[in-house]
Amino acid sequence: MTTGDTVRLVEATTPRTAELPPLERVSPGSREELASLLAEASASGRRLLIWGGGTHQGIGYPVEADLVVDTSRLDRIISWEPDDLTLVVEAGARVAEIEAELATKGQTAVLPEVPGGATVGGVVAAGVSGYRRCRYGPTRDRMLEVTLATGDGRIVRGGGRVVKNVSGYDLPRLATGSLGGLGVIVSVCLKLWPTRGFRATVEVEDPAAAWRRLYRPLAVLQTPRGSFAYLEGVPDEVVAKADALGGRWTEGHQWPGPPDGEYVVSIRVRPSDVARAVEVIPAGWDYVAQHGVGEITAAGAGSDTVERLRTWAESRGGWVVVLWAPPDSPVDPWGTPPQGLDLQRRLVGAFDPARVVNPGRLPGRI
Amino acid sequence: MASPGRRLALGAVTLAADLRRVLGADRVSDDPLERHLYGKDAGVFRGRAALVVFPETTEEVAEVVRIAEEHRVPVVARGAGTGLAGGAVPEEPAVVVALTRMNRIWDVDLDDRTAWVGPGVINLDLSRETSPHGFHFAPDPSSQSACTIGGNVANNSGGPHCLLEGSTVNHVLGLEVVLTGGEVITVGGAAPDPPGLDLRGVLVGSEGTLGIVTKVLVKLTPNPPDVRTMLAAFGTVEDAAATVTGIIAAGIVPAALEIMDRAMVEAIENWLHAGLPVGAAAVLLAEVTGETATVEDEARTIVEIAQANSAREVRIASDEAERALLWKGRKSAFGAVAQTAPDYYLHDTVVPRTRLVETMGRIYEIAAKHGLAMMNVFHAGDGNLHPLIPFDSSDPEAWEKVQKAADEMVELCVRQGGALSGEHGIGREKRDLMPLAFGEDDLAAQACIKAAFDPSETFNPHKVLPRGTSCFDRAVPIPEGAWI
Ligand SMILES: Cc1cc2nc3c(=O)[nH]c(=O)nc-3n(C[C@H](O)[C@H](O)[C@H](O)COP(=O)(O)OP(=O)(O)OC[C@H]3O[C@@H](n4cnc5c(N)ncnc54)[C@H](O)[C@@H]3O)c2cc1C
Repeated sequence: MTTGDTVRLVEATTPRTAELPPLERVSPGSREELASLLAEASASGRRLLIWGGGTHQGIGYPVEADLVVDTSRLDRIISWEPDDLTLVVEAGARVAEIEAELATKGQTAVLPEVPGGATVGGVVAAGVSGYRRCRYGPTRDRMLEVTLATGDGRIVRGGGRVVKNVSGYDLPRLATGSLGGLGVIVSVCLKLWPTRGFRATVEVEDPAAAWRRLYRPLAVLQTPRGSFAYLEGVPDEVVAKADALGGRWTEGHQWPGPPDGEYVVSIRVRPSDVARAVEVIPAGWDYVAQHGVGEITAAGAGSDTVERLRTWAESRGGWVVVLWAPPDSPVDPWGTPPQGLDLQRRLVGAFDPARVVNPGRLPGRI
Repeated sequence: MASPGRRLALGAVTLAADLRRVLGADRVSDDPLERHLYGKDAGVFRGRAALVVFPETTEEVAEVVRIAEEHRVPVVARGAGTGLAGGAVPEEPAVVVALTRMNRIWDVDLDDRTAWVGPGVINLDLSRETSPHGFHFAPDPSSQSACTIGGNVANNSGGPHCLLEGSTVNHVLGLEVVLTGGEVITVGGAAPDPPGLDLRGVLVGSEGTLGIVTKVLVKLTPNPPDVRTMLAAFGTVEDAAATVTGIIAAGIVPAALEIMDRAMVEAIENWLHAGLPVGAAAVLLAEVTGETATVEDEARTIVEIAQANSAREVRIASDEAERALLWKGRKSAFGAVAQTAPDYYLHDTVVPRTRLVETMGRIYEIAAKHGLAMMNVFHAGDGNLHPLIPFDSSDPEAWEKVQKAADEMVELCVRQGGALSGEHGIGREKRDLMPLAFGEDDLAAQACIKAAFDPSETFNPHKVLPRGTSCFDRAVPIPEGAWI
């Protein structure tokens, strides 16, 4: 057991970043500029690839685009109300910078812990969440308000800057994971959480048992190099829990980066299937499995392995979503399409009638 | 477009006959009394049910939708009718689809912490069923002993404990829903983040206007290992509100933070004798949950903050019986109002928590200006206000004054950066106030969602969006100036 000393339990890696395609690139500096760009594209049929930090560009069908629109100049914090635990931020703001800023007052937006150059808008559009969703829920649960520039260049807002709101249809949630299907996310209001107390990363023998036993752990992760529980709270209690888990522990949170390989996939299964999923992953593949959540990010070689993992996951009511694949990959990025595809097509068509924003990326090549 | 051919009187007979072929005679009612009863919810609006049907299976709901669409008659889904915004009240003669018989709890899965339930399951029954296993359904509206999970889903209902746990939408993992044409789809599931647009997220809170929910996969929440429930009495409502702001600012998100004002506490005490301190201008009920060391630490901090804001009395419930009594008092508040006046009108609005103190002060001013009484009991931790005006509806002038004052209060909250509704929904009640919170394009975007789901306007028409709101008009060319 290690108390007090900081030892390296978890290896840190940096997330993969896509290379910008060799296309003309524009960086709108205001939402109005972005909206007129979209209106013009809709009128002329110019297809746009929206670019945040490039860390989630591997998701979905490849986009054939004429122009790259990057959000890097839309990166302001519009308002941060620490006493209200809300943050309004533009889409191009970097996750790492935003979280560093929030940490100065002991708060977090629970965005991915190892973000690389990811932007807030990219994380929301890709519908990805941090490991701490085990305790705080997925990113969509913190989406209080969204401002979108629709495919045809209108600025629309949904939700509001309060923590509880039932005023019409939940556009903020619909935008989460929409990958450009409704247009470009301009800004979002996120619900924040206070981070209070002492933090520990604890190595555990049996991660599934640790998750069942702990009350509201921040995360319980399993990797080929060990399994870890992430705790935070009153110091005595955290220390007592860490000791009771019998593992080695260290102060602070050490998060593993996403695994990398020829293929990187997100296996999504019911929480109780996480341990089984880990057994199905072949030797030689790397992974980070989130107990209590049901997401396993796995990386390795061979399209046949991806297909096999998908067949298994879908047979158990889950999904395998490809995060990165080689350019000539024969694997469908989404797998069996979800129900209600026609409805999805109608929704996308209403917001982006000329289908100019990331066209074809969504399931069903919408 | 509303269909021009909705002439019910002539078609009602064949409609009823068609429905009876599917449901049998006893589950299609055209009884005038029943139609009258099903024309109202717990709010102030009244409508008229053309027929009331009681399906028991998803297939039956799908058939009802298909038949109603054929007859061009709208359908209005209904749970327990405890909604306060007129959501379940038909705006035009409609088939009211009562879902209370679809009240089965299927597979409670303790490994995944989920359960598939029928929309007619009563909220509290679900928690009662799962509590022996150490779990509960977190959303706990004060009406939880009557309201249904389907109604909770449709209104994205909240409750005192949604401060920590979030509203219904955070606890719904999947839905089976009957859409236009009687199409049945299942969205979401126990596995996280299904590919494609989050239809589940937009169906929750859609107030029955997009489809009828026939099954719900809910997330079950582990019962907390320990709990502390505190009560603090203050000389002014502002001090109580400042304590709430102080607690959030101190980095504590309690399980619940509820304020009751003097008039409300007196009404509750007269009736229930729950042990609330009468005479205080405001009582704050705070609850923290978690492991023992955490709850003790947080309880200590909350007591300090209350004292720093001039609390006259701070008390921690000494046992489960005292705690249960305090909560019973809180959750019976609306019932207690009956002693004060025969009717009450209650609004549900939200302000940023930093604006609580100022907003509360101004809400009392508005009531006083109109010569109206005012009682408050609300989810202070979320900034979710429920200003309640007791009145006598037999006095027509009173009702006019009440509506005027209520509208001013909503406007005030929106101007403070707040929202029209935190948990009761828009329904019929706040439909025409939507332009206070949203611009024309924002509303058009919402109308696009409605149109994509329900092109024939079958599901609960004329709710949520003001009449005349429609999806973007594509015929209008993109303005010249917008081109680059
Ligand atoms: C005393 C009292 C206290 C209350 N306290 C709270 C509170 O603390 N928090 C809170 O949030 N609310 C509260 N409410 C409001 C109300 O109880 C909730 O909105 C509740 O969720 C409504 O459920 P219901 O089954 O009664 O739905 P109904 O009133 O029957 O219907 C509500 C809406 O849901 C739709 N609907 C119902 N079932 C379905 C379905 N299966 N599919 C699609 N649409 C459907 C209806 O069309 C309607 O628009 C309170 C009400 C009362 C009377």
